[in-house]
This record gives sequence, structure tokens and C-alpha cells, in this order.
Amino acid sequence: MSRESTDFLYPFIEGDEDDAPSLLADLATSAGAKWDQSSRLRLETLHLLDAQLGEVAAVMARCFEGGGQLFAFGNGGSATDADDVAQLFTSPPWGEPLPARSLVTDHAVLSALSNDIGFDVVFSRQLEAHGRPGDIALGLSTSGNSENLLRAFAQAARRGVRTVGLSGYDGGRMADCEELEHCLVVRSDSVHRIQETQAAVVHALWAAVQAEYRSEASHENASHEGAA
Amino acid sequence: MTRPDHAPVGGDFGASADAGLCEDLARASLALARRFSAGGTMWCISPSSPFHAHHVAVEFVHPVIMGKRALPAVVVPAGADLVATLRATVRPGDMVVAIAGAGESDVSRAMRRGPAWGAETVWIGAGPRPADGAADHVLWLDVDDPLVASELFVRMYHLLWELTHVCFEHTGLLRPDTCDEEVCITCSDEGRTAEVISVGGLGDALVRTAEGREHIDTTLIDPPCPGDLVLVHAGAAIATLEKTSLEEDRR
Repeated sequence: MSRESTDFLYPFIEGDEDDAPSLLADLATSAGAKWDQSSRLRLETLHLLDAQLGEVAAVMARCFEGGGQLFAFGNGGSATDADDVAQLFTSPPWGEPLPARSLVTDHAVLSALSNDIGFDVVFSRQLEAHGRPGDIALGLSTSGNSENLLRAFAQAARRGVRTVGLSGYDGGRMADCEELEHCLVVRSDSVHRIQETQAAVVHALWAAVQAEYRSEASHENASHEGAA
Repeated sequence: MTRPDHAPVGGDFGASADAGLCEDLARASLALARRFSAGGTMWCISPSSPFHAHHVAVEFVHPVIMGKRALPAVVVPAGADLVATLRATVRPGDMVVAIAGAGESDVSRAMRRGPAWGAETVWIGAGPRPADGAADHVLWLDVDDPLVASELFVRMYHLLWELTHVCFEHTGLLRPDTCDEEVCITCSDEGRTAEVISVGGLGDALVRTAEGREHIDTTLIDPPCPGDLVLVHAGAAIATLEKTSLEEDRR
């Protein structure tokens, strides 16, 4: 096990040469190829999901206008994406700050639930405590198969919390999850490339919510003016 | 552009890889692989977007690709005194990886101390660049949109991870003493960066350098304070690089 193969990642880098400049040149070439691949997936995905993002954004904007809040959650790298979501919605670079929370940040809650019951319930149990009708549960996964996300969506559905999921590959179990209303799938089989594009999807979703939220508000203003 | 009013959808942001950035990523990855191979720990910092530091750390500790080895990567928690925490915990041979803007002064102060702490520094960011030599590896994007930049940071540290693991297959290139640079500071008697630990009464000071603690003569420079960065040559401080007091750290 002293040698691990990354040949499938970088098929044209061979064996054991001890020539640093040549390794560096190969690495730079590989990085460039991966970069371009990621850029293509990002653009293709944003185009593919464009209509669906608009629908989800409209649902979310209505929730926020009704006083709802957003709960974001995921495991590993997707947990950090959940933190990104919470930070972006509450402290946006522009636009309206909107109420959002990550369900992965409280280590006391996470360790208590994991220790007493199991990691499968860490998100569902928190939604049981916090979720209200008109809130939004946003779960992120690259595989779409995380048990704790599926349980969270089920719990959310029971409580009238709207459900949105980000998944990869072919959507995994999330694609077939009855309690998940909206599943945004980044179609790739590389976890890294999926995650990179999911970050873009999250940002596009946030921007669409901002646009939708403003338009609803101005629509309201317009109708008030019309009534006056 | 199907949704021009909904930035940042679409666009050509980062569509094509920048050759210089790819070379920088390659060099940084080889440096990280060498440090990990020699037992170094990676410290991850991103005070204004803590999720990035957590993402880097989890990537290296528990890789998404099965069978890849777990590597020691640690997040300096948000809210911690960055410089004080790193000063207390970083060991010679470690790495500090930052995802931060050039204007984040705590990050800049931490990066500048890398040579004194014996740490290799990698600084990932976008927009206005930090000064030349602000870190060993400055991986920078010419992107203004903070969200697009944030997306590309994820791409950059994923590539750092992937390339680092490729380097592990080239064991002949992982010796920590390998010198490919034209000038190797540690092999010559160039000036070395030192951080002042305490000041004596007779124009001397105890300092920390990449090689450990040593007493130096400080009569050639203005009296230093603990926390200052000085340039040491042949047992004497010959210049003050940064005037900072430890009190300021604790603000």
C-alpha cells in the first residue's frame, strides 16, 4: 500500500521519473485540463438547471416573504457548502439578508445526537425541533445517497417544510425520494467536479432568490399603489 | 446568457485555465507533498469565509476518493486569534494554507511569519494581489465577482489535493532537502526571517527561526519588541521586517 494509484485521475503521468521540472509540467497540464472540464460542467449545468432554478427560487422567495427560514445541511465537503449557503443568505455581498442557518455548525447538538441515537438523525432531529411550515430544508450531497439527508427530507415534509436537494451522479436515492420536492442534479461522476459545480448552483440559486424576492416585494408595492 | 439579470449565472468566468496559475498550483502541490511526506501538518485558515478552511481540511483528512491516505490538516477555528494560535501550534516543517483577500491583515501577518516558524505558506485569493513574496505560493485569480471567486477557490484546492496525491507516487522527488530553486536560503548564509520572542537588556533578543530558537544581537536595529519580525544574518538582526507587538495580537 506504499504506492497508491491515481492513474485514473491523471492517466498520462507515468511512473517514477525523478525529474522535478518534468513532473511539474505534467501537473500543470493536468490542472489545466481539469480546470477546463470543471468550467464546461459548470456552464452546462447552469443552462440545464436554469428553468428548475427559477421554479425553486420562486418557492423559496415565497417562503422568505412569509417569514420562513432556510436550513442547510450536508456531510463533509457538502457540510462546508451548507455553511457557505447560510453565510451567503444571511450576509450577502449585495441584496437582502435572509434568515438561514447551517445545521452542521453546533458540535454539541451533532455529538449529542450521534452519541445517543446515531448520525442518521442529526439533521432530521434538528428539523423536528426548528422546522415550521413555510421554512425551507436545503440538503446537499454529491452522491444523493446520504441516509441523514433522506431522513431530514422526510421529517421536513411531515412538518410542512419545503424541501430542496442538490445531488450528483444520476441523483442517487434523492432523485427517487418522494418527500424531496426539488432535486437539482449535477450530472457528473467526479465528486470534486460535482462539488465545484454545486457551489455555482447554490450561488445561482441565491441570486435567483434575490431577484425573485425583490420582484415579489415590488409587485406588492405596485398593487398597494394601485389600490390607493 | 439565459438569465443576464441573475448574476453570477453563466459567463466566461474562469472558463479557460490560466497557464501561470496551473504552474503555481503544480509547484505548490509538490511543496505540500514534500512537507506531508516529512511529517508536516497543514493549518487551514480563512477568517472571512470559514467554510473554505473546513473544506480544505476535510479534503486532506478524509479524501473523497477511497483508498487515498489521510493527511494531517487542521482548521484554525473562526474567532480564534489567528496569529497567536498559529504561533503556539505551528512546528517547523508544517504548512499554512490561507483562503483570504490580500487586505486581511491577520492573514497577511500569519503568512509573513511562515519563514520564522519554518512553515511553507500557500495563499489563495482573488482581486488585488498581496505584495510580492507575501507567501511562498500565491495562487491568485483575476476575478472581481466574490461568488465566482469562491467557486474557483473550491476548484483550486481540489486541484491542490489531486496534484499532491499524484506527487506521492514520485517518491524520488519527495525528499525534504531537495532544492530546485536557483537560490536556496537554507543552504546559504542569506538573511533569515526571525520572530522576536523576548528582549534582553543588553542589545540582545531571543528569536524564533525555522531552525529553532536562538539568541541574536540587536544593536544594529531599533530596539525590537516581542512579536516583531527581523532579518538575521550571522547572529545579528540587520533589519526590522515588521513592527508588531504581542499586545497588538491580543487586541
